Parts: sequence; structure tokens; C-alpha cells
Amino acid sequence: MKTTSVRAPWRIGIDVGGTFTDLVLIDSAGEVFAYKSPSEPANPANGILRALEGAAARLDLSLAALLGDCAHFIHGTTVATNVLLERKGAKTGLITTKGFRDTLEIRRGYRELMWDHRTPWKDVLVPRSLRLPIDERMLASGEPERTPEAGDVAALAETFRNEGVEAVAVCLLHAYANGAHEQICAEILRREMPGVYVTVSSELAPIVGEFERTSTTVANAYVAPRVLPYLHELGEELKRLGLKRDLLLVQSNGGAVSLEQISKRPAALALSGPAAGLASLRHIGELTGNRNLISIEIGGTSCDVTVVNAGNVAETDAISVDETLICLPSVEIHTIGTGGGTICGVDDGGLIFVGPEGAGAKPGPACYGLGGDKPTLTDAQLALGRLREGSYAGGSLKLDKSLAESALHATFSPVLGENTGDAAAAIIRLSDLSIQHAIEKVSLVRGLDPANYVLVGAGGAGALHVADVARKMGMRRVFVPRLAGVFCAFGMCNADVRHDLVKTIGARLDGTLCESLEDELRTLEQKGAVQLAKDGFTLNDTRFTRQVEMCYAGQQWPISLAVEKPDVAELRRRFDEEHERIYASRQPDAALEVVGIRVSAVGQLPVHHLATPPVPEPIAAPVVRYRSVRLTGEAGGRENVAVLSGPDLEPGHFVVGPAIVEEATTTILIGEGDRLEVDPFGNYDIAIALSSGESRNG
Amino acid sequence: MADAILTTLLQNQLDHISQQMGWVMQRTARSPIFSESHDFSCFIADAKGQLVSVADGIPIHTGGGGFAVEAVLRDFGSELAAGDVFILSDPYEAGGNHLPDWTIIRPVFAGDRLLAFTCNRAHQSDIGGGAAGTYNSDATEIFHEGIRLPVMKLAAGDALRMDVWRLLKLNSRCPHLIDGDVRAMIGSTKVGERRIAALVEEFGIETIESTFSAILDHAESRMRHALSGLPPGRYSGEDASDTDCFGTVEVPVRVNVEVQADTVKVDFTGSAAQIAGFKNSSLANTYSAVYVALLSFLGTDIPRNAGAFRPVEIIAPEGTVVNARYPAPMTSNTVYPATEIIYAIWKALAKALPEQACAGWGKAAHCISSGADAGGDTYVMYHMHAYPGTGAVKGRDGLPSLGTVITLGGMQIPNVEVFERKYPVRIHRQEMRCDAAGVGEFRGGTGIDYEVSVLDPATYSFRGEGSRTPSGFGILGGGTGAKADIAVRDADGAGIDVPQYGVQSLPPVEIAISSTAGGGWGDPHKRPVDKVLRDVRDGVVSVDAARMAYGVSIDPVTMSVNIPETAALRA
Repeated sequence: MKTTSVRAPWRIGIDVGGTFTDLVLIDSAGEVFAYKSPSEPANPANGILRALEGAAARLDLSLAALLGDCAHFIHGTTVATNVLLERKGAKTGLITTKGFRDTLEIRRGYRELMWDHRTPWKDVLVPRSLRLPIDERMLASGEPERTPEAGDVAALAETFRNEGVEAVAVCLLHAYANGAHEQICAEILRREMPGVYVTVSSELAPIVGEFERTSTTVANAYVAPRVLPYLHELGEELKRLGLKRDLLLVQSNGGAVSLEQISKRPAALALSGPAAGLASLRHIGELTGNRNLISIEIGGTSCDVTVVNAGNVAETDAISVDETLICLPSVEIHTIGTGGGTICGVDDGGLIFVGPEGAGAKPGPACYGLGGDKPTLTDAQLALGRLREGSYAGGSLKLDKSLAESALHATFSPVLGENTGDAAAAIIRLSDLSIQHAIEKVSLVRGLDPANYVLVGAGGAGALHVADVARKMGMRRVFVPRLAGVFCAFGMCNADVRHDLVKTIGARLDGTLCESLEDELRTLEQKGAVQLAKDGFTLNDTRFTRQVEMCYAGQQWPISLAVEKPDVAELRRRFDEEHERIYASRQPDAALEVVGIRVSAVGQLPVHHLATPPVPEPIAAPVVRYRSVRLTGEAGGRENVAVLSGPDLEPGHFVVGPAIVEEATTTILIGEGDRLEVDPFGNYDIAIALSSGESRNG
Repeated sequence: MADAILTTLLQNQLDHISQQMGWVMQRTARSPIFSESHDFSCFIADAKGQLVSVADGIPIHTGGGGFAVEAVLRDFGSELAAGDVFILSDPYEAGGNHLPDWTIIRPVFAGDRLLAFTCNRAHQSDIGGGAAGTYNSDATEIFHEGIRLPVMKLAAGDALRMDVWRLLKLNSRCPHLIDGDVRAMIGSTKVGERRIAALVEEFGIETIESTFSAILDHAESRMRHALSGLPPGRYSGEDASDTDCFGTVEVPVRVNVEVQADTVKVDFTGSAAQIAGFKNSSLANTYSAVYVALLSFLGTDIPRNAGAFRPVEIIAPEGTVVNARYPAPMTSNTVYPATEIIYAIWKALAKALPEQACAGWGKAAHCISSGADAGGDTYVMYHMHAYPGTGAVKGRDGLPSLGTVITLGGMQIPNVEVFERKYPVRIHRQEMRCDAAGVGEFRGGTGIDYEVSVLDPATYSFRGEGSRTPSGFGILGGGTGAKADIAVRDADGAGIDVPQYGVQSLPPVEIAISSTAGGGWGDPHKRPVDKVLRDVRDGVVSVDAARMAYGVSIDPVTMSVNIPETAALRA
């Protein structure tokens, strides 16, 4: 880390993690300064201020100077996520169309894990007594049939007031087609209940489907009174300390937005933290010269899989946060329950299982010695020699191999025999398979071939699995960022400001429709331009992308096509091709339906490139010692494997596997013939040795 | 010993493949019944026709697919070739469960050796017969229910036989949907074939074949282990319908469940003779219903393959409602009598393990309407918003509206907004009922008040199974859920008499359905007072019912609990 002087103006990114708050500053010359300090989960703002003070001191600047010369201050926050996870949101009221009070609670009558019919649903965010109907009706065409009476709305407001409601969501039938009735309700509510947060579905998520829209609007109301005051206080405090610009926040879609703009849609912060983290992937794409990446981030409880295609993080229209559905554009993170603490065992029919239960932080894996006696993935890694025994994290954690082995032995010897190594190897292989299935799911859903992608290993345990998984999937290149936390904050520094605007269409594709689509797209672009103007962008530094979502009539999962100017023949041709690419079939006789359109309005911050260091000469990396390690899942013995110390390694160092690199917070394992090299920025770039005919399925 | 590892690996891989087949089907099919409601199942069988992976699909399809693969082997076993695709549906001749479910079966070869079958069973939008949308409640013979498909070769060398293709489309009122949907089915089996071929390349055919049998053995031992948790004994159960579709008549399904160590005999001797209407079961469907009853009661993570079924002996006397003789109609069987079969077994098992018992889910009472859409194509609309409430179990109240027990909640109810865009209807209400749920420590699902105006003349197939007798039975002192009610009025508000079952053409009408509520579990006096108060505040339990049924006294004005009075009521 450099502690030299930095040149104004600079940009600051702050990512608040569970343990550390990471700060990155990029100055006008592209020099990077990174700083890390402990988070304060009870009041994250304190952790942020602490990081700023620490960074200022390190740079020999006053806090006022550090903030005063900051041109863009970008922040990824987990506040909204935590409100939803901990169910600590506001007392929320909901206004629905008369007759549809229970849309939220009926939940479309669907249970994804149907065979598990005994597990209760979590309570909905608004109890029935606060879901109040209003006599009104909008038709599917957008034509009003019955307008809500002002007196009726005022009566509902009084009920809410008496109940101490802090926020109100309004979601009326067909409001995506015409939001006028919702606006009438909102105006009266705002007048009758000053200070109470009011949000309407037609502004927040104008999509067809009253359940999804209601759920999203309710979530927005539920988090707003907990999230917005906190962020405003933080913004005020930063201004008081010298920040001259608005605080920018990372949304679930990965784009940044001003605090003023997010005030209408705080639910768009539901994945702010992880989305900010994924910003680093775009940057890795730049570093590797391959903008197609798949990342596996494996921590204690889970493995998050994300795809970056041509530099864009894959997106989804809906996310579920602890059973609360939020239909706002978001980065797509596919999570499976495969993490270091995942418990393994033998079922009552004699087969092995890995998960879904986890040991958590306490008691944690058996090898922690905190009372856990069930073997976990971490125990298996330790027993195979892949993880080092002894103390970690400055002595706060100690891994005891004998505890791992005895837990494995007690659990598996009746089925797999005395060799605990066999059991451990089997567990690793099964968990690798689960990770492969997850990668297939996120890539095949888009018709992508993982073999053309770089696999990025992140999180405490990602780098232990990444090389073997890549080999199994025919992926030739693996990347392990050295300073993951800093990378997130760095990626955020380059996040663009972004607004997504959607409109439901729901009509057959033909020439007339195409003409009106062009008008609709322009209207959305104009709306986006107005919002970007409020963020301080001029047309010179804004960019618009247009997407048309289509399906064969009757299908439920539309395919999005990026378009410039809608044209019938062109859309038809491209849709058929895309359908064939993803699903291996096309239906040339089927009518095409345009489900909706979307415009992303992007305000581009000037890109800060890293100052590129010189490319070093390759030189063999120093080996610290050799350790007995069992490498693959095949039945087989152990080898003496070279162990390298991460902090010793510098750009240009390389090693040919098998080898292990030990970093403070992660361990990298490469297999026979794999070649690991430290890139000019200090990251691990690994070429995977694929044998010819390497399986891509097993 | 390494076998356990390989078996686990391959089982995970095969389940992944059948799920992937389902995923392709759901995204490429065009009928709402697949793309929205997932009324299909993808599965993989071994070369003998034994199901090895049934990881995808709705519960009532569980296990029945084996009969279909066996029929393919019987009719074409000696001449199967790579690139063949078969289709079948007939429950009497071809191992089908009921006519609307068409099954696509593709043999998978390794070289010239038959290794497996990839299969997709899916409920078609329309197959001809006496009513649009496959449910002809007037049927008295299978010939009234639509086209019967024996095992037919639909493709050879992966090329469609166009004569057969045209026959299929010609016999449907919705040929455009059949075209897209059956292509999607074929595509899903092709994806399964490709993935299995890759497995063969990696592991070799011998390993795969031996692992298939290890996978089945594993499921068998899981099932035996689960069965050994039941106290040995002979437990009886009965659940009845009150109609044969033409008149009021008791149609009981009677079962004796005999548990011996780690096996179970499920004997339907004594059940009603087959009936005139279309609620007769095929053998394939009865087996499926038995598996749903046992697996949903015993545990959720037993692999649902042919191995798990080995310790289960089923006796279904021919000529009864659970194993009807040709030419009895049977399109309704996946719902009724499947529901009666499941409930009879649940009631028997409740005697064995009361704590684990499941209260009854309401039987549905609704209708299907069909007519011509704006473009002249036939539309078929299932009035799914009137789905019944579920029964309670210990630890969970019933859910308000969740399809029927045969799907266990695996079918999604479409949004009202989508229906209003697609069909000539205006829906006015879809809300939880008050005081309908079976009372209990855990109360039943409320059921739904549903009101709709159908704006154009249409044809209706009424299916009012739950509208005469309450069907959401209670457990351990829990109450029975209220029955359903259906009222139909014309534009002037005059009532129209509609049958419990039957097909009618009607002018524009208003329909109001109060759907069946689910049964409760346990003594209602043990329900926590704050939960009763919440139900009252929510308007799903009245102040009177709180007092009478739950022993909780609540002031209707202040909505506060009178604690001394409550203590006295509950004493």
C-alpha cells in the first residue's frame, strides 16, 4: 500500500462488510490507495467515519481535505438487506383494490419445495388488519372504471394513523397500465399523514402481476423508514465534515444512484452490498483481458455464483430476500448451500450427503474445537492436507486436524471404511459437483458455454475449489484476486450512475407495434435523461440502452434482446436464433409477443484506469515447505506438495502445480500441471491443465 | 466401499438432469398449464423401465410413469433404436394414468446397448372429447373423453412422423398449442439424452448400469428405514366422495394399511365399485396416489424412485373405483379419486402416528370455462383463483389457497391481472374466508371468496367435488373446514341452477365461489391467545367464533382480550 501523496480530485469507494469496512481512493493520476478498518455492525456509519479518519491520517491529510477534494463518494450498504433479514422494518399499511386484500398472503398458492409441506411460511410484512381495501377499479386496458372517493381514502388514512403506521404501500389492480388511482390515494395519504412514507406500485415497479407488484411495493415501504433516515444522517455528517458532493449509493443492479433518487425506491438497495462487491468483477475482466467471467464466492455457509458476460454482470428481474419477493432489476446471484461449514454425513440408506445444513460460526466445523462434532467441508479440506493446521486470524481461530479426522472417522467409517481420507475426498468431490451444477444453471440459462469463461475464485474457500471445478468444466483459466475487499471498493469507484425504466406492453409483434415501441422507448429515455440531469449529468456523458422482452405467445419466460431501432423482421430473426441457442428449439409458426421494454439510463463517470505497472519477467516462486496433501477425489495416495506463502509472492512469480499458496484469509490449491502466475497487480492468474477429452459433466 | 461415493455422485447427476429437462420444458412450452402451472413431470427410467430419477414434477405423477415405459418395452422392445420417440396416453392399453396426460418416451442408447429412457408426462390443453379443456364431467365412457393413444412411434431417427403429428393436432381444439407443447416435450427428452450420453462417456456403461441398481437399492433402504418408524399394526382409513357425477351417492375409498417391520401393504379391498362418472382411477394413478400419501406423510427427502416403492405392496381390486374396468371414464382421476386415496391412507396413518398426522385439505369446487377468444381460437380458463385452503399439521396453520393435495402446492395460481388480459372476464374478489377454517391449535387454511363476471357466453365444465360435504377433516380435536358454495347468476341477477358435475353452455354470468377450507390440528383451546386475537383482528375468525370455538373472549370494540373470562372459558 502506498502512503505517498495523492493528487486531487479523487474518488472514494466504501464497502461495508460484516467484518471490515474497505475504503479505496483513486486519484486523478490513477494511483490507488486502499485502507481497511473494522466494521461496526450496530452502527455502520461509525465504521465508515472510522475508515475515513484512518485513511486521512495515513495520507497525512485532514479529514476535511480528504472529503473536500472528493469528486465522487460511492457507498455499498447492507442496511436495507439487514432490515429485511431481521424483520425490523416499519409498521406498514397497504391499500389494495377492494376484493384483493389478501393477494400478498395467498402468494399465488405456490410452494417451490412442494414435498416439504410441513414448513410454515414466514409471516407476510403487512398483517391483514393493515391491508385495507379501497373501492376503485382500473381495467386491464388502462381505462378507469371506478375512481376512488377521496373520503374513502381519508378514512383509510385515519385507520392507519390510529394504528401507528409508519409507512404505506399502495398497489391497485392494473396500475401498471394507469397509475392515476394510485396517485389519488398517495396525494390524500401524504396530506392526511404528513411524515409517513408513501410508495405506489406504478412508480416503483410497473409490471403485470399484482402479487409481485404488491410484494415489491410493500418491501419498499417496510424498509424506507429504517434505511432513509440513516442514509440521510450519514450524508449530512459527511457534508458537515467537508464532502461537497452528494453521497452515491450502489443499487441492487450494480449502478450508483444519488440519495435523493433512492429515496423513492430504497428497496432497490436490497442487494446493494453484494452488487457493490460484484463491481470488482468488471474490473477483473479488464485486468484479464477477458470480459466473460464466472465467479464462485465460497464462504462459511454458502457459495454464490455470478456470471459476467461481455463485461456485464448478469441480471434478474426479481430477487427473494428471506421469502420477500422484490421485483426490481438486480444482479443475479445464484446461491447454493455449499460452504466451509456445510455439514456432511451418511443418510439412513447409506449414501453420502453434503448439506444443506451448516454448522454456522458456532460451533462451526469440528476442527474449530468449539464443540462441533459433525464433519464439515472445512474438516475435509484440513484432513486432506489442503488447509494448514494451526492458528488463523491472528490466533483467534485454531484448526485442529485430529478433531477433523475423528469427526470424519466417526461419521464415515461404517460406510467408507477406516481411511478418513477417502471420506474427505468424497465430500470434496460431491461439493465440487454441486458447484458445477450451480455454474451450469447460471450459464445454461443464458445459453452460454462455461468453457469460454474465466472462473474467479473468491471468499475464504473459493480458491480451494476453483481449479478442480474449472478443470471438470473444461475452463482453461482461473483468477484469484489477492485483495478481494479492496477490489470491491475499487470496482465501486468505477460504478456508473444508472436508472432502469420499464414499461409493460403485452401485445403481438407487428409493424404498428414497432412504431409505437419506438415512441415508448423514447419516452422512457426522456424520463431517464431528466433523472440523470438531476444527478448532474449532461447528455454528453449519458448513455441509454434499450431492451425489448419477447416470448412466443403463451410462454412465461421472456428473452431480452438489446435493440437500437425496433424492426419486425429483425426482432423475429434474432428471437428465433436466441431461442434456439438457449433452448435448442425454435417455433417458427408461433406468434411473437412483446412483453415489455426497458431502458437503462446510464450516467458515465470518467473512467479511472489503474496506473499500469510494468510487466515483470517470469521467475520461479519461492517454496516455503512441502506438505503431504491428497489432491484429487480419485482413490489415491498423498503427495508432497509445494506450499508457498502468499505475502512472499510478487508480480512475475510463477509455480507449476501441484501447489498450495497460503494467504491470510484464503488458500489457493492448483493441480498437476496447472500454472499459477502473479500478475502485475499482484493477483493470481492460473492456467488450467486440461487433458484432452476432459469431461465437462462429471 | 467407493460405491457409495459413485452412487451418490450419479444420483445427484441424474436428478440434476431430470430437473434440467423440466426447466427446458417450463420455459419452452406455450400452454399456461405448463409454463405457469407446471402440470408435467420429467423422469428417467432404466432399460427395464424402472424409474431411477423422478426429481422434477408434480406429486401425483410420482411413480406412475413406470407403467408407461413398460408399455413401450412390451410393444416395441425388440425394435427400439436411437432417435426413436414414443408417445402414449391410454390408461387401459398403454400404461397411461388418464387421457389428457401425454407421455413422451425416448430410449437412450450407449452404442447399440439400450441404457435408459428419458420421459416427459404432460397434461395437454385439449385432446378433443366432449368438453374443451379435457375435463368432460358428462362422460360415461372413455370414448367421451378424447383421443386414446396407444404406444405410437412419433419419431424415428429423430425425424417426426408427420402422419402421426397431423393426427394429434387434428384431434385437439387447440392444435397451435399442441404443436408448441409437444415440441417442447420432445426437446426436453433430447436434452436428457445428451446429458446421459455425456455420463456414459465419463463413467462407462457398466458403471452406470450397476449404479442405477445401487440408486434403487438406496431408495429402498431409505423407505424401509422410514417405514420402520411406524408402529407395526393394521390401520384402517376411509374417505368418500358424495357423488358419481350424476347424483348423490356415497363413493367410499376404503383402505387397510398393514405395517410390518419395514414393509407396508396398502389394501383397497372394500372400496366402492367403479362409478358412472369420470372419477375412476387407473392402476398407474392409484399407485401414484399411494406413493404421494406415504411419502408426504413419512418424509420429504426419500428419493421418489422405483426402489422406494419396493417395500410397498398395493392391492387394488379390479372393478372398483381405484382400478376401473374398461371402458369406464377416468379423466378426473388425478384429482378424484386420487384425493380420496390419499386421505384414506392419511387417516389410517394418523392412527399410527397422531403427532405427525395431516389434516384434510379442502376438495376443490370450481369450474372450467371455454369459448372463442378475440382471434377465434378456443380458450380454456381454469378458475384457479377459487382453490381451496390446506389442512394444518403440527407446527403450521393451513395455507389460505393452495391448489389441491395432489400437487402439494406445486402449481402456481396465475395473477388476476394476467387472466383479465387473456380471457373475457372481470374478477371482483379473491379474499380469505371468515370462520370457514377448521379450528384447532393449528387452524386450517381459510379458503377463498372468489367472484367473477364472465363477459361472453361460454361453456362450463363444473367440478363441484367440495360443494356438498365438508372435506377438510380435522385431527386430534381439530375442526373440519367449511364446505364450498357455488352460486351462478345471469346478467339480471337471476340465479341459474348448475350441477355439481356437468357441462353447460351459459350466457354471460356472475359466479361466486366460496372455496373449501382446510381442517385444523389439535385442541383449539390450546391455540395461543395472541394468535386467536390476530385472526380476529384480521377478520378471518369472528369474535363469536373466538369465544365459542377457541375459548377466547375479545371485546369487539377495543379488540382487547378479556383475560379472566378467557381463563374461565378455557378451564
